[in-house]
Amino acid sequence: MDGPHDLGGRQGFGPVAVGEVEESFHSAWEARMWGIARALTRPAGWNIDWWRHGRELIDPADYLTRPYYDQWMQTYTALLIDSDVFSVGELAAAATAPAPSGSGGEPVDVAALGGSTRFDRDIATAARFAIGDAVRANTLGTAGHTRLPGYVRGRAGVIDHSYGAHVLPDASARGEERAEPLYSVKFAADTLWPEAKGRKAGDRREWVYVDLWESYLERA
Amino acid sequence: MSSYDSEKVAQIHRELHSHLPSESALRVKALESLLVEKGLLDPATVDGWVEFYAEKVGPKRGAQVVARAWRDPDFKARLLADGTEAVKEFGFDGPAHAHLRVIENTATTHNLVVCTLCSCYPHSILGIPPNWYKSAEYRARAVRDPRGVLAEFGVALDDSVEVRVWDSTSEVRFMVLPERPGDTDDLDEAGLAALVTRNAMVGTDRDLTPATGTAS
Repeated sequence: MDGPHDLGGRQGFGPVAVGEVEESFHSAWEARMWGIARALTRPAGWNIDWWRHGRELIDPADYLTRPYYDQWMQTYTALLIDSDVFSVGELAAAATAPAPSGSGGEPVDVAALGGSTRFDRDIATAARFAIGDAVRANTLGTAGHTRLPGYVRGRAGVIDHSYGAHVLPDASARGEERAEPLYSVKFAADTLWPEAKGRKAGDRREWVYVDLWESYLERA
Repeated sequence: MSSYDSEKVAQIHRELHSHLPSESALRVKALESLLVEKGLLDPATVDGWVEFYAEKVGPKRGAQVVARAWRDPDFKARLLADGTEAVKEFGFDGPAHAHLRVIENTATTHNLVVCTLCSCYPHSILGIPPNWYKSAEYRARAVRDPRGVLAEFGVALDDSVEVRVWDSTSEVRFMVLPERPGDTDDLDEAGLAALVTRNAMVGTDRDLTPATGTAS
């Protein structure tokens, strides 16, 4: 979707705040939200792509201004309401008199919990593109969730690496699991940004590598 | 069951916008309180995850991986070929870890990692990402003005050095293998690991030459 989350190359943003203290969490509520996300029993049918889509659907002004873990709170909340776990009214009531957070007891040892989830799959069809092939990213994109960033749509690049088949986020966010070949596609900066134009082919020194699924691409 | 209905979720977000208190801490407290009441959350498990990531999982893990790659060419070859398999030697596992790709800086190339669409990051070996990595400024500008962003981090790249920006659009997670600084032959793995900064493994730091004790 063409939401406020698709930030690559958007202009008008100022300097990066580089002076941040290096610590895991900057406040207790951020840590709490992180922990809730890890420990929550998720409703049936959730997956990472549906979750990401849920975050993309935050009101655009909120997306660009509310703190990061506040957006996590909004996303988990919206998807839990969508799954009929609770209502907006129940949550609003809880906000007027929330119970104290934390167990007050011994933390559970989570070191053995929550290993990684793999997203690669074996598929029967052969990959359409090989390393070195010239490709062009779809111009139209996808109406719902997609991982095709706006800034590469319609642009030509070269297949630089093949990852085998991975679960397609566009389908997962609709509740369907389907795998497709996934590639790393290399784009020259001067094909993406007007101010980078003018580099001659042998003199290019800035590249952007984007992981793109086969259905995002056509032969160039 | 999830509806997979974009418009329905967008509408829920608009309702939340009108009904939630503004203060983030209160919002999170309300959510936790309600989930515990519904039997969907054990607060002691939340405590456990917070403690684990605040104290045990962090960039020190990635630094150990880098230090070993600097000392052991066979390990480095395995790491560059299949990061996920190679870091199993350390016993590191965890969320966002299944497809780790390690990319190498050289004298003539510099790598920079970003996630323009959200905030994908190799949590299990670098810990919790810094706020700047998740900021709109970094996500918007890293792909378009990488040299300008690097300069803000104090990385002065010669114009001849090629810049490769990696946008984390899939479940593949990227970690940069920085260049080993010179004059470090006498350091053991722990000594080398101490030189590796978190930012170097994301690509917003480059020269890891140890401080000599004099102003530089």
